Amino acid sequence: MAQSGGGAVLRDRTAVAGVGWTEYTKNSGVSTLALALRAVRAALDDAGLEHSDVDGVACHRVGDSASAVLVAHVLGIRDLRFHLDMFGGGGTSHQVVAQAALAVASGIADTVVCWRAVNARSEFRMGGTGRAAPDAPEFQYQLPYGYATPPQQFAMLDRAWRHARGATAEDLGRVAIAQRAHAALNDRAMMRKPLTMDEYLSSRLIADPLRLYDCCLETDAAVALVVTGAERARDLRQTPVLVSGAATGGGHTLFSNGRADPTVSAAADLAPRLYAAAGIGPETVDVAELYDAFTFLVPLQLEDYGLVPRGETGGFYADGHASLGGRLPVNTHGGHLSEGYVHGLNHVAEAVTQLRGTAGERQVPGAEVALTTGQPGYVGGTSSALVLRRDG
Amino acid sequence: MSPVRPVVDRDSAEWWALLATGVLAFQRCSRCLLWRWPARALCNGCGSLAWRWEPASGTGEIVSWIVTRHAFLPDVPAPYAVLSVRAAEQPDLLLPGAYAGPPDDPRLAIGAPVTAEFVPLTGEGAPAALLRWSIIQSSA
Repeated sequence: MAQSGGGAVLRDRTAVAGVGWTEYTKNSGVSTLALALRAVRAALDDAGLEHSDVDGVACHRVGDSASAVLVAHVLGIRDLRFHLDMFGGGGTSHQVVAQAALAVASGIADTVVCWRAVNARSEFRMGGTGRAAPDAPEFQYQLPYGYATPPQQFAMLDRAWRHARGATAEDLGRVAIAQRAHAALNDRAMMRKPLTMDEYLSSRLIADPLRLYDCCLETDAAVALVVTGAERARDLRQTPVLVSGAATGGGHTLFSNGRADPTVSAAADLAPRLYAAAGIGPETVDVAELYDAFTFLVPLQLEDYGLVPRGETGGFYADGHASLGGRLPVNTHGGHLSEGYVHGLNHVAEAVTQLRGTAGERQVPGAEVALTTGQPGYVGGTSSALVLRRDG
Repeated sequence: MSPVRPVVDRDSAEWWALLATGVLAFQRCSRCLLWRWPARALCNGCGSLAWRWEPASGTGEIVSWIVTRHAFLPDVPAPYAVLSVRAAEQPDLLLPGAYAGPPDDPRLAIGAPVTAEFVPLTGEGAPAALLRWSIIQSSA
């Protein structure tokens, strides 16, 4: 196994200096290019920067959004020092921010804007509904069986995980309910009405065992972040949130690649590198924003990131430890399940908000360290995550 | 259901053609004998480029299954079950496939032994078949 201590080179050298959101809707009525520009404008305003301060751009997409270079052109960046146009889904979301941080830390660029812009409800629904199938050779082995959309792929993993852990529908219902309660405190969230266990259990099965309320929303929205040097960030408008650690990992492809157990994700491999890069252990994490395209991914990551012992996440939720006021509040914005689906980047934005201490009614008191994660590496075969820290 | 024909690529064409003759085969590394599927040019165990197709037993066990109840595809009426099967040859050989029984079959269980059946695909295109798994009845 290759040894790498290189991750620590990044520690606390860059910061998220600005965050911007568009409105979350079911039909934005505008292009993904317009969404990206609105979110970038908002993030620059938040940071106290101008578009002329930007010399790098980074986004991820799956053929469903405006290109990074097009956004750079529209921003008027003539001497584009860094651009990243990552092909990939939620597993790559945090890698985009990490690459921006690397570009800044290494001096390639001074200020990089990262975003994800999607019309994931009105234009390009995930999994190809309403458009051509994704350009992945593996789909030839799935589509003929009517097995291609994200709920179907994750339902397959969900059942295996539930079986291995002895998890029940109620266990996962508590995840959806806890996040909905958080969303009720979030003006941005699309779903704010409290969810009951009866409503959860009586919601229709989409791809058994996945129910409707196990599935994330489909959202038209964009979220943008401004990444710059830590010193520069200290001169700007907001409390800097430092990029303390970043890691990526390889994952499952649902086919043979040496991984025989689908109930442990790539997060279990990258977590030790992530914590080492940040110089912390899981016990230091004050708040966790964990990629939640589907409910079971949240307890699965609590296990794989070493935050809760394997098999004990059901009790962790039942005892309220994942809720505001609990031991480790999880998905304080409501997550993809209740805030909206911005493909991982809204989790980073929420972590930044929490660490600034500006989350209002849903603030985790005194939050200093946040873990924020991308899809844990199943479909698409890669994962990524960040540890962020409040400056000072 | 009226299946979508697979979009066969240059690496996979032979696998689909073998399936159409009723043979479930996997690639096998000529150097370290590791099995692999889907078709890839290089062994992820030893790194060798040398391989051959080798017929498999056609048996395995259920790793997981889903029952699609929301009809995602206009031509595929729900409900229907799809299985993920671990081939008997090697623990990391996971294959999707249809299920021979009803979608709410109480015999569906993780770990249940299954055997492959082949459903020829009609219509335009190169010969191909789909996998359909049936549960092996215990003799006890």
